[in-house]
Amino acid sequence: MIELRSTLAGRITLTVLAILILLVLALPIVVIVVTSFGKDAFGSFPPDSWTLGWYKQLFAEGSKWPAALSLSALVAAMTTVFSLVLGMTAATALVRSELPLRSAVYGLVLAPLVIPQVVVALGLFLLFEPAAMLGSPIAIALGHTVLASPIAVMILMATLKGIDERLEDAAASMGASRLTIARRITFPLAAPGLVAAGIFAFITSFDEFFISQFLSSVDTVTLPVEVFNVLQYNVDPSVTAVSAILIAVAVVALALVAAVRRLSGSGAQDGLLPTETAVGLPAGSETAK
Amino acid sequence: MAVLAPVSDSTAPAHHKTPRKKRLNRVWSDRRTRFGLFNAAPVVVYLLILFVYPIFSTLMLSIEGEDGGFTLHWYADAFRGANLEILLTTLRISAETSLLALVTGFLLAAAISRLKPLWAGLAMLVVVVPHFISALVRTYGWIILLGDNGVVNNVLTDIHFPGAPFQLLYNEIGVVIGTTAVMLPYTVLLLYAVMKGIDRRLPAAAAGMGAGRLTIFRRVYLPLVAPGLVNAGVLSFILCLGYYLTPALMGGEKQTMVASLIDEQVMKQNQWNGASALGIILLLLTFAGLVLLRLGRSAGEALRKRGAAS
Repeated sequence: MIELRSTLAGRITLTVLAILILLVLALPIVVIVVTSFGKDAFGSFPPDSWTLGWYKQLFAEGSKWPAALSLSALVAAMTTVFSLVLGMTAATALVRSELPLRSAVYGLVLAPLVIPQVVVALGLFLLFEPAAMLGSPIAIALGHTVLASPIAVMILMATLKGIDERLEDAAASMGASRLTIARRITFPLAAPGLVAAGIFAFITSFDEFFISQFLSSVDTVTLPVEVFNVLQYNVDPSVTAVSAILIAVAVVALALVAAVRRLSGSGAQDGLLPTETAVGLPAGSETAK
Repeated sequence: MAVLAPVSDSTAPAHHKTPRKKRLNRVWSDRRTRFGLFNAAPVVVYLLILFVYPIFSTLMLSIEGEDGGFTLHWYADAFRGANLEILLTTLRISAETSLLALVTGFLLAAAISRLKPLWAGLAMLVVVVPHFISALVRTYGWIILLGDNGVVNNVLTDIHFPGAPFQLLYNEIGVVIGTTAVMLPYTVLLLYAVMKGIDRRLPAAAAGMGAGRLTIFRRVYLPLVAPGLVNAGVLSFILCLGYYLTPALMGGEKQTMVASLIDEQVMKQNQWNGASALGIILLLLTFAGLVLLRLGRSAGEALRKRGAAS
């Protein structure tokens, strides 16, 4: 729209449209946070009077939310560990070695991002149902790792590419073993990337709905599945407070990633967030080498 | 979009002539290669067991009859009556969504690419942050916004917009608004990356040679952004195909999509074979989209080469 710049009218139209589209992105989130503090849960917006009642209700006696919250946290923690182990080894293989069939391995790793999630969830259901593992937190975490590990691999690949390989070579030439190099050189330098990968794996799992829905049983219900059930069947106003908490978790996670990047000095040149890799868009062809 | 273009990593052409056994030996004796294989093993094994094998068993289930023999009647069922309608609805809603996400994404990316770095960074934050907030939560936000007494209808009534208030929930308008908002970050990011890469001197040169604004847009700008448009459009289309949350919560009966049907067949009717066939159909549609993308890319490259040669 470079040519629109020359006319004032065109410029104003584009700006107004852009602001409207940004509102489309931001409003659903703002409205939840504001409503969660309103006394009248489904009343006018903005609310007439304010309360913390919905948040208190979450932790009241007999509430099902704490159990769902702790299950989600447990599953997300396991997913984080699995994804980091898989992500670090895979990224090392893809960036730091001669790998036969490299593009096939890379394609396999990224495939879960474009395959419809319902297909992944259905396949996992068919895998875990005969094994009587439905409702097991480990099964849900193993399933979430299928979605979270590609993101971890991409972030860690970018991290490893940013580390000067000659540092590792220098250590090797001075007689350091593979393990020493990993422990003393690679890991400290890759730490910010590991933190970012871990955080993204965590929120991927924490917010994941479809796989959890297929793999949950009556008494193991993750937070998003519970939210969905409430929205679909019996609207309970405290769901707004839960949603606001989910928003807060995501925002805090992103802020942490930004802070780590800033501290490590890698955030300066490419904005606050490693946007492309973080969103799960495999970046341009240079990532594929 | 490297996933969409499995890179033709030409592994040293010299290997083609060496006998197979020798080549294997050489691969194994190279230290760097062994190190790579050792490190690649965990993720490959993991994905083979928890990703490839489950999809393979879905495929097997979809062609298995009640008696255990081979059958295609689950597929025939999928293309009949109510199921066919749901399939067509899925394609229609995905097309509407990707078109809308493409147009709005284009406008937003174009606006942001002209901003100063600080403002562009802030605007991109508004684009990216929602992407990391659960789609479920954002859908709930839309339900609050679009209700009969929601903010959108209240504002429209207050400014005396003709026809307000509108029915915006539990129909196709609601679903398409919801899914578009979910796909928007993808299209904006893809298009923004392409627009940032455009050499600004090209449109300027065209203007210098007397091209009108419309001509510059059509003949210079659009061809330069075209690869991004194709990428973003196809990607949001295939991501939308298997989408569940928004149609399930914001749609009515007429907006049931394939993912909801699969969910219902598995959870309520215990009909795994039928669900598997539907899953495989979704998978094939996704592959078709990816192949289309590759074809488009190579066609574009061929065109560019010819242009450069002449």
